[in-house]
Amino acid sequence: MTSATGGSSPAASDGRLGRRSFLNWLLGTWAGGVLVAIGFPIVRYMQPPDVAEPATESASGGAAGTLAPNSFRIVPFGAAPAIVVRLATGELRAFSAVCTHLSCTVQYRSDLSQIWCACHNGHYDLNGRNVSGPPPRPLEPYDVSVRNDQIVITRRG
Amino acid sequence: MTPRRLFALVCGLVGSVAALSAQSPNPAVSVDQARALFQNDVHQAAGLTCAACHDQTHGDQYAAPARASIPKLCGGCHSNAAYMKAFNPQLRVDQLARYLTSTHGKEINKGELRVAVCSDCHGAHGIYPVKDPRAPVYPTNVANTCAKCHADAARMTPFNKPSTPPADWAASVHARALLVRGDTSAPTCSTCHGSHGAAPPEIENVALVCAQCHVREAELFRKSPKKALFDTLSLPECVTCHSNHHIVEPQDSWLGFAGDVGCAKCHDESIGGADVIKSDRKSLDDLSAAIAAATDRLARAEQAGMIVDDGRAALREASDQRVLARVSMHAFALQPLADGAAKGLKAAQQAQAAADTALAEVQYRRKGLAVATIFIAGFLVTLGLKIRRLNRAD
Amino acid sequence: MASLRTWLAERAPVGEILDFLRHKHVPQHRYSLFYYAGGAALFFFLVQVVTGALLLMYYRPSAGEAYESVQFIMARVPFGWLVRSIHSWSANLMVGVVFVHLFSVLFLKAYRRPRELTWMSGMLLLGLVLAFGFTGYLLPWNQLAFFATRVGTEIPGSIPVIGQPIVHLLRGGPDVTGGTLTRFFGVHVAILPGIVTVLLAVHVLLVQRHGMSTPPSIEGEIRASGRPAKSLPFLPHYVLHDLFGWTLALALLAALSAFYPWELGTKADVFAPAPAGIRPEWYFLWMFQTLKLVPAKVLGLEGEFVAVVAFGLGGLAMFFLPLIDRDTRTSRRVVSWTAAALVLYMIAMTAMVLRGGGQ
Repeated sequence: MTSATGGSSPAASDGRLGRRSFLNWLLGTWAGGVLVAIGFPIVRYMQPPDVAEPATESASGGAAGTLAPNSFRIVPFGAAPAIVVRLATGELRAFSAVCTHLSCTVQYRSDLSQIWCACHNGHYDLNGRNVSGPPPRPLEPYDVSVRNDQIVITRRG
Repeated sequence: MTPRRLFALVCGLVGSVAALSAQSPNPAVSVDQARALFQNDVHQAAGLTCAACHDQTHGDQYAAPARASIPKLCGGCHSNAAYMKAFNPQLRVDQLARYLTSTHGKEINKGELRVAVCSDCHGAHGIYPVKDPRAPVYPTNVANTCAKCHADAARMTPFNKPSTPPADWAASVHARALLVRGDTSAPTCSTCHGSHGAAPPEIENVALVCAQCHVREAELFRKSPKKALFDTLSLPECVTCHSNHHIVEPQDSWLGFAGDVGCAKCHDESIGGADVIKSDRKSLDDLSAAIAAATDRLARAEQAGMIVDDGRAALREASDQRVLARVSMHAFALQPLADGAAKGLKAAQQAQAAADTALAEVQYRRKGLAVATIFIAGFLVTLGLKIRRLNRAD
Repeated sequence: MASLRTWLAERAPVGEILDFLRHKHVPQHRYSLFYYAGGAALFFFLVQVVTGALLLMYYRPSAGEAYESVQFIMARVPFGWLVRSIHSWSANLMVGVVFVHLFSVLFLKAYRRPRELTWMSGMLLLGLVLAFGFTGYLLPWNQLAFFATRVGTEIPGSIPVIGQPIVHLLRGGPDVTGGTLTRFFGVHVAILPGIVTVLLAVHVLLVQRHGMSTPPSIEGEIRASGRPAKSLPFLPHYVLHDLFGWTLALALLAALSAFYPWELGTKADVFAPAPAGIRPEWYFLWMFQTLKLVPAKVLGLEGEFVAVVAFGLGGLAMFFLPLIDRDTRTSRRVVSWTAAALVLYMIAMTAMVLRGGGQ
């Protein structure tokens, strides 16, 4: 039922007032919904995500305590794998795990104390230098540090 | 024309004819051309002159050495360790000794001139060091150098040798790696046949060369039942299935009984290990299908604007496992191929899951948008009504 | 509530402002839809301020981290994808609406006396908005932006004597580097917002001072008919209309972000050769195409330099337009036809680039 234009008799004005305040209430409710639709994402946005910052310069190398001497671990560093090696002396070293020959993922050979690529028998020494086989370039080295038993590997330069 | 010039002309002609009749694959050169080429020669840089290799005939005219004497001529310096140390202590001095063990060396000692001598491969006057990309014996040039004779049917037929190997090699994955990708670690003729000691390799030798790079395949093969079998049948390892020159990319379909490749070369489905072959093949096919599906899904997620780094990492792991599984095939058994393929399958499924999560997130965002739009639409409609009411009230 | 109002009214000019707004009227005629353009531009600007401030919480302005931080915002921060996509879409919609606003003022002659200062502050704001777009585009540090910035900052180099110093000033050095990124960042989040806030305040206050202009043709009709001009009260009618439009714009931004999320592309590689098809953002395409079409030499001078000078002179002419236009029937017609020609030219040049032609 549409209201009549102009005029305001008491009975009609009651009805119109009632519809008017209903309309205002409705408008207010929808407005509230819109404000929630805007406010909720903003509030959630400001809450810190699980990872505090982008993994550009550094990545986690896993727990330090569970990496035994003369063993290794492959961890993700951005979109590519990295290799963390604990030498027999206990020292930690980390390199890019992408073989410079044809991009296979390298591994650590505890019998040779060398980093080795299974694909075409490429060998790297523990400074990442390509010492035998097809690989044309050394592996990119990373800096390693330990914080609260967590290994952190960082890009150099 | 002066007598001197006439003599030079005759020498030049004789030299050229000598070159032709000796069947060198390299074109004959005149003395002037030779002098020009020699400007870039490593021997010239070392302070040697024409007289070091040539007998002087007339003034500044030199005679070309007899073909059969060339190896001893070069060997005169290059086999002399004390002499060579003065120029390059690292240079080997066993080239002549190895040459004499080669087919070329043995033939030339029998008086056969239609085989390669030093100058045919290294050049005569513009000799570059092996490491120089301009050298005919630089890795990327070796195949062309050998092909000068070994791809020429006219030269090969008298020796009952095929002239197809160079072309076969040129169509192989190794040629593609060396010439297209520039990977100088890829094998060329001299890698498997030897350079100075070039000879057709014995059955045992070829496999050992392959094993220099393809270590895992060789290890697995030698532990497999095939090794003893091949030894008994005097079949060459590696070459039997993969060929020697025309080595192409092996396909998963080789692990089966179709066509004339892989297992089907010797076997049919009646053999005892047929179900192992079928099972291994299925593992590889399933893995490939999972990788393809995950790749597709990840691409779709990325196209929808999502970033799926963890999915990409899992996909990389799955691809790595597939490479290892394919290598494991050389054990000719169920394991370790089945385990490797299973690991790969798990990784591929993880990649797929990451992509699915991302796509679900896209749907969630659209649903969220729908909710927000409902509120906004409701607000707009109500506001519209209010505005209309206001307008009518005036 | 009433006591709060009285408390405020004693201390702040609330009453005066509300009074003024209650008396403010907006003319109603067949062109009054264009009156919303300015407000829409303001809305998009406010969206930019809010989303920009939010992005500042996670963005890192260094060559080594900018790209990764934007990726982080899009992938890891809750609703980061929404904030970033809205910021990118709103930027483009703002530029589009600003051009609509500019041309509607031009065609409807709203720059005439006494609104010359409003026009001039608006022209300055146009330049600043384009500067916002240019500096902001580089911030994700992706391939397209890096090379487009290199091309764009090269252009002033064609001006003799002062050209190269200008390029050095823009780039923070001879080349586009991480130094350029930090410089653009500072300009984008501090310098430009500061200047724009002041200018925008001046612009909006001047609009309030003079009210909405009625186009000459409508003025003529009103005079001819003798009837009073139709108008809409600002409060509450026009405000509610504006609110309607702004909410619609918000819905559009959300939809665009959900269905056409803004791409990130690949990280800038300063050593790579320029990828094919490098071009600036769409609102610069018409200038870009003009530069490409200009012959290498014009009247003995370098073609690019001539084009840059032409743009400069054109811009100056437009800036001083209210002082140049003597507001007669003829001059107004000249302005309208020139404006129409300019619009067509801009559209044609833009279309040429987008369809891949024009070399």
